Order: sequence, then C-alpha cells, then structure tokens
Amino acid sequence: MMTAAERLTIRLTVNDRPVEREVVVRRSLADFLRENLGLTGTHVGCEHGVCGACTVLVDGRSARSCLLFAVQLDGASVTTIEGLTPPDGLSPLQRAFCDTHAMQCGFCTPAMIVTATELLAQHPSPTEEQIRDALAAQLCMCTGYVNIVRAIQAAAGARPAMP
Amino acid sequence: MSSWVGASVPVKEDLRLVAGRGRFTDDIGAPGMLHAAMLRSPHARIVSIDTAKAATHPGVAAVILGAEASRLSGPIRPLIPTTAVAPDFCLAVDRVRYVGEPVAAVAAVDRATAEDALELIMVEYDPLPAVVDPDRALEAGAPLLYPELGTNVVWHDTLSYGDVDGAMARADGVLRERFTIQRYASTPLETFGALATYDAGTDAYEFWTNDQRPGLTISIVAASLGVPQSRIRLSCPDIGGAFGNKRRPAYLLVCALLAKRTGRPVKWIEDRIENLTALMHACNGVMDVELAYRADGTLLALSVRDIADEGKNLLTPTQHNLIKLGNIANGYRIPAVRYEAWSVLTTKCPSGANRGIGKPFMCFAVERSMALLARRLGLDPAELRLRNFVTAAEMPYTTPPGAQYDSGDYPATLRRTLDRFDYAGWRAEQARARQEGRLIGIGIATSIEPAGTNLASYELITGKRMASGSAEAAMVRMEPDGHVRAAIGDPASGQGYETVIAQIVADELGLPLEGVSVARGFDSAVSPWLYLSGNYSNKFSVTDVGAVLGAARLVGDKLKRLAAHRLEIDPGDLELRDGAAMVRGAPDRRVPFSELARTAYADVLGLPPGETPGLEAHHAYQNPLAAPVDAERRVRSQLVFSNAAHCCLVEVHPRTGVVTLLKYVVVHDCGRELNPLIVEGMVHGSTVHGIGAALLEEFRYDEQGQLLTATFLDYLKPTAADVPTIEVEGMEHPSPFTPLGAKGVGEGGAIPGPAAVANAVEDALSPFDVTIRDLPITPERVWHWMQDAR
Repeated sequence: MMTAAERLTIRLTVNDRPVEREVVVRRSLADFLRENLGLTGTHVGCEHGVCGACTVLVDGRSARSCLLFAVQLDGASVTTIEGLTPPDGLSPLQRAFCDTHAMQCGFCTPAMIVTATELLAQHPSPTEEQIRDALAAQLCMCTGYVNIVRAIQAAAGARPAMP
Repeated sequence: MSSWVGASVPVKEDLRLVAGRGRFTDDIGAPGMLHAAMLRSPHARIVSIDTAKAATHPGVAAVILGAEASRLSGPIRPLIPTTAVAPDFCLAVDRVRYVGEPVAAVAAVDRATAEDALELIMVEYDPLPAVVDPDRALEAGAPLLYPELGTNVVWHDTLSYGDVDGAMARADGVLRERFTIQRYASTPLETFGALATYDAGTDAYEFWTNDQRPGLTISIVAASLGVPQSRIRLSCPDIGGAFGNKRRPAYLLVCALLAKRTGRPVKWIEDRIENLTALMHACNGVMDVELAYRADGTLLALSVRDIADEGKNLLTPTQHNLIKLGNIANGYRIPAVRYEAWSVLTTKCPSGANRGIGKPFMCFAVERSMALLARRLGLDPAELRLRNFVTAAEMPYTTPPGAQYDSGDYPATLRRTLDRFDYAGWRAEQARARQEGRLIGIGIATSIEPAGTNLASYELITGKRMASGSAEAAMVRMEPDGHVRAAIGDPASGQGYETVIAQIVADELGLPLEGVSVARGFDSAVSPWLYLSGNYSNKFSVTDVGAVLGAARLVGDKLKRLAAHRLEIDPGDLELRDGAAMVRGAPDRRVPFSELARTAYADVLGLPPGETPGLEAHHAYQNPLAAPVDAERRVRSQLVFSNAAHCCLVEVHPRTGVVTLLKYVVVHDCGRELNPLIVEGMVHGSTVHGIGAALLEEFRYDEQGQLLTATFLDYLKPTAADVPTIEVEGMEHPSPFTPLGAKGVGEGGAIPGPAAVANAVEDALSPFDVTIRDLPITPERVWHWMQDAR
C-alpha cells in the first residue's frame, strides 16, 4: 500500500529535455509541471477534467494534466506550451492567434495552442466542424470561440471564416 | 498625424499570453510560502469545533477559526450599507448561512497537506432549516438568516414615475406576465486567489491578488485589519477573466491573518468547486410585469414587481434591483414607470456582480413581453419595437427614472440587424420548414448597455450618501530617454488596456505605438488610484480614457513649454509629432523628445524659469454626467448608453427538445470603437455568455439548500460545438459625453442574449403555443412543453 506522502523517482522527457525528479505520488502532472519544474504556462481551471486549461501533449496526444499523476508519466514525453514556443518569437500557430486576437484574458490560450497543435497534426486542413469539435474539449470564457476558430483556420492556410 | 485610436492594432498582451508567459496570481510564489485551504460548511449553527488533530498534523503551520478571526479582524464593511446590517467576519463565527461558507482555514506546506488537515477538524453542527426560494423567504414564519434583523428583507420600496395607474386605466390592453431568472455566473477560467505577506516590523501587509476592484478592497481590508491604508500594498498581476466575480475581501483577510500568525507568506487559490459554490452568483429572481399599450402597439406604462434573491449577501445587496430600475425601459419610450423592489436573503451563495448585473433579467422581461405583445396584437415583433424606440432625434433622452440615453440610432440598429440577418428571407424559409415539420424559430432582442456606475444612486436605498460619481486615475510619464510609461487604477482582466492606453497616449504625444509602455495590472504603491478605481461597470470608456488623456495632455503641454523655451517661440505654435516638438508649418524647427526629457530629468538648469524637473503627470477624471439623486427620486445610476440588436435562428429537435443555434447576428453601437479588433472579440464573448444563460447554465439548489451543480460536469458552459460564429457589425454614434466618444462594450451580448434565444425558441415552438417564462431552456424543459401541448 502506498501512502499519500510516499515519494517515487520518475524519469521522463519534458519539452525534449530529460527530467528526473522525486515526487510525492499523489502530485498531479499539472502541479508537477507548475511547481516542480516551474512551467507555469500550463494553467489549472477546474481540477476535474472539464475545462481543459491544463491540457498538455503526452507522447503527442492531448491529455488533462490535472487528471494524471506525475508518477504515471514515468518514461513518457510531455510537451507543454513552453515546448511549443520557439526560443525566439512565436510559432505560426501562435502568430495566427495574435493576428486574429484569439484570446482575451489568455488563461485558456496555452491549452488552446496545445489542442490546435494536435488537431493540425491530425488534420492539416480541418473543416470548421472539425475545429469546433476539437475545441469542444476546452472552455474559453472570453472569446465565444469565434476568433480561435479563425486563428486555426488561418494557421491551416484554410479559407478564412465568414466575417 | 497618425491616429492609433480607432485602428485595429494588434493586442500587445497577446504576445505573452499566447506563449504561456502571462503572470497570473497562482504563478507567483515567495520564499517560505505556505498554502491555505478552507473548511466549508453545511447550513447550520456551529456547536463546537475541535482543531487539535489538525493543528498538530505534520506540515501544518496554523489553523484559524471564525471566533478567533472575529477577534483579530473587524467586520467587513458593507459596500451598500442598507438598514439591515449585521456584522460579517471573514470566517463564520457561530452560524453558517449557506452551504460552502468557510468556517476554518489552515496554512500548511502545500495545498494537499492543508486539505488533509481540514479533514481532521471536527465540527459539531446543529443543522438549520433552509430557505432557498425568495418568495418563501418573504413569508411570515420563514427561517431567518439573521434572527436579530427579524426579517430576510434587505430592501423593499416602490418607486413611481408618472401616472402609471391612469395609463393602465386608459390603455387598450395590459399584458401581465411573471418571469423568473435562474442563478448563473460568468465563471472566469482563472479562479479567485491571493498571496499575502505580513511584515511585523512595520505592521504592514502586501497582497498579490486578482481582485478586480483594488481601490475598494484596500479600504475594506485595511479597516478590518485595523491598519492605515498606507500599510496595505495590493498588486494585481494578469487577471484571467473577472466579469464582476473577482472580489471577496474576506479571502484576503483570511490569508492576511494566517500570514501574520505564521510570519510566512500565505497563498490561497480557490478551487473550482469553491468558486461555483461560494464566490458569487448573479441573483435569481422573480419579476411580475404589467405593460400597458394602445391597440397600435404604442407602450403607455410599465409596472414591475421584482424580487431579487441575494443569497447570503449583506455586503453588496440591492445592486441587481437598482440597475434594473436604471434600465427598466430598455430602448423604448415608456412615459410612466413603476418599480416595486424586494431584495431578499436566502440560504444560498452570496449574490454579486456578474456581467450585466440585473440587466440580463430586466432585458429578458421587457423583450419577452415585447415578443408576447407582438403575438397578441398580430404585429411583427420587429415592427412593434420600431414603433416604440426612442429615436436618434430625441437624444439625449431621459427615461422616467432618470437614465439619460445620450446617443445612438436604435431603429437603425435593428433595421441593420434585420438586413444583415436576411430577416425576410428567413421568415419565408421558416414557413417552408414548418410545412416539413421542422421547428425553426427566429428571435429578436434589443438592448441598451450602460457604462459607468454613479454610486450616488445607492442613496435611493440607503437614504444617505456614501460614495458617489464615477472616476478613475492615471499616470503618464516620459522617461529620461523619451519613452513613455503609463498606468491606471483599473487592472485589466482581458480587455487589452495595455494596448488601448498606448493607442491613446501615442496619439496625444505624437509617438509610435511602441514608444508607449503601459504597466501590467495594478500596484497600489505605484499605480494612481481612487476608492472608485477598478475594473467594473463598463467604466473604461467613461472615466479611464479621460484620466489617461488628461495625464498625457499635461505631459504634452510641458513638452511644448520646454521646447518653446528652447526655440524661443510661443508654445501654442508647436505641435507634437514623430517623437518631437516642432513648429507648426515649419517641421525643421524641432526638438526631439529625448532632448527635452534629458533637460527635464538631467540638465535641469536648462529648464524654463518656474518649471519643475521631470515629465510625469497624474490626472484623475470624473465623468460630468454623474449627479446626485433629485427630489423626484430620479438619478443617472449609470452614465452613457450603448445599444444593440440581436437576431438569431434556432432549430428545436421535435423529439429530443434539443435547441441548436443556426445563425446569430449582432449589430451594436458602442460609440467610437477605440480598437475594433478588441471590441468585436468582446461582443463575441459576451453574446456567448448570454447564450449560456439561455440554454445551459444554472446553479440549482435542493430544498435543503445544497448546491447540486458544483462542478463543470453539472454546471454547463457553452463550448465551441454549442455555438455558431457570432456575426458582428458595429455602428458608431459617438457619445457627446465621453472624452473620445467611446461607450461601454464589456457587458454587451450578455444583456439581450438570453431574451433573443428565448424569443427564437418560443417562435420555433409556436405550433405548440408555448410561452417561455423561465431559463435555462434545457432539452428536458422543451420536451415537457411539447408533451404538455400534445
């Protein structure tokens, strides 16, 4: 039986860099990223897996970091918003988000970038319906999603949405 | 001269936010920091609390209870001190009045340990009867939240303007309906939070918090802690959405008491269940409407009886009532108005400011009434509205309760919406679809959207003047290198102020946009601020712009004086352009700002006689429209008015009752759009808030006062798959009463959205002769309406 205070050592890859840390077994991946690794671009909005603000890529697939324990990630590769941001400047997807003002408070935005990255990897030219289906995993309380859809369309080089 | 104001310039803040480089409250730490958690209660009397086990749990630094908190800190000062005042401390003392009210707080090495300790606190409760229905709370013998007050009624009054009874008697008809609104909230994605530190040497506190109204909060927190306001330093980093919800001085006090007790920084971040259970909800309520009309549809009088369910809120009650009164006529010419208001306590989460405060329900009641009246009279719902709008020629127009509609063309806004929507085309399509058995509906709702709160209006309720007017403060400083820095007392929560303020200052001083940096957030030790400062009530366009402009002009005037001295010319012959002061018509005669700034800060012997060193100016601006309550109890409770018309298309599934939004058009007029890119985004987002209230969101309580919808699994928010692209078009009738002609746009679609969707669903269900009186319009409700009609 493990107790909540028990610690385990995990080795994983975070944003292409090897990481080895001893962590309390009950620590969530979100808390591990934010507090152990200082990667505060991943945000926590509900801690029950609905809002999607904590979404990261685990081995290339989107996952709720608030619903995973860090110790489950032993051997995995995790990519956060910090890993999706070039050392200088912004990615084309991020630039599209800025060009269309696809955010307001910006709290959901890192997870939106993560989700859009996965979507565009699977569907380089997604339809509006595919974009909205993918985004339905994330809550944004500010934008009504209109400009986020436009940003992803722009990044995909797709025909822009009707104004 | 280039004009940045009015251009869709890219939003500076986006560059950091898109990379996850925003700095939010929970991103901030301090050496030795502890994490707090709060024990939350049922509705009960507290018999005893045993904290022995929790206090000795490994990793726990402090446990604090209400009784102790009430000795260490004073009661929280109400913002709206009605006659029903009872002391309210940061933790419940001997009685808890709603499920979720905090009774104890723990500080520990991490949040998980603090939550472990909460489970070790033994509380013996004596359960108390709940009262969750506001109608019931009014009855004699209802359970009382505060037995010492002898009533649950915080405020009851009737305000009458014009001859309502005469108009009702003379009318060709009177429409009578009862509408209700549910509890809902805008639920910013970032929850509330605070980090407090205490310095024993100076008896001073510092806070990092996403509180959206720092001026007010500082005054309340300082008073409760018993220190001068100068010993409170409050800073706001990036705020992850606010919408009125982000304010709860009690939580700052809990952190402060724990920080003082432990001598260590203490951070508390609200979790989502705490946020949904206990931060604040928009009032639910009941409204009885009587609308008197002539046979041609002309409105003659409106009488409203309104019950606002405040939950346990003795700190900011009556807000919803008062704002409804100020917006009671919507955009219509209604000569006589009566408003009977009840503000009532129940054993539920405290009510509070939420995007549009009261206006969504007021607009829902009026716009649902207009839809029903159009049906009754056999008029097209657009035509009925067009017959009753205040027209552009009547501006400025004062409503019976004293609101002044300053500008806009309400009929043109609706006509443009109908054109853009292709109203005639969809009416024809609807008729065809109905023959195929499809339930297609078109909904229209129009709204006004005020900006700026005049706090003098609360004199109607409290009988005395407390705060009054609407104002904000700003600072503009040209640094020694000629670059400019600006700050205001209003911490943005997603509205792009760093960008818009830079646009305003750059225009005023003749600078490129990148020549102006605007401080992120707020810092009470650095930012200029007033008690009235903050991010609320759509006030940016009404007050903040004036403060920024005023401060920039002071700096600009000084630049001209310094340059005039250098060039030996009159300052009036100079203009500021391209980073220099230059002679009008002779741009070769110029002095760059960098040289003027060097003189002002470094080479001060070069200053003109009588000039002080430096290039820094503070300016506080109060909007001149605010005035006290007059002898007839009329008041401009809010100051300038935007307007909008929504038209949407829905389809109702005939078997499941599911409502699908097929098309949504908004034409709005917020005066001059300072940055149309930002404006359009706010209209999208606010409209989706309205859709959420219409179709999905509801804080539902059982009869014992237990919240049944305390997670995002039960409390449903609109997702990208639930809403269509919101099509937005702006019209621009500048306000004559704001410094740049801009008006409010932050609340926007949250006001008419619920009415527009409800009108569309009712229209779709017209084969079933349904009347929609309640929200949200869930599939279950729709299914029952259709079943009942069959």
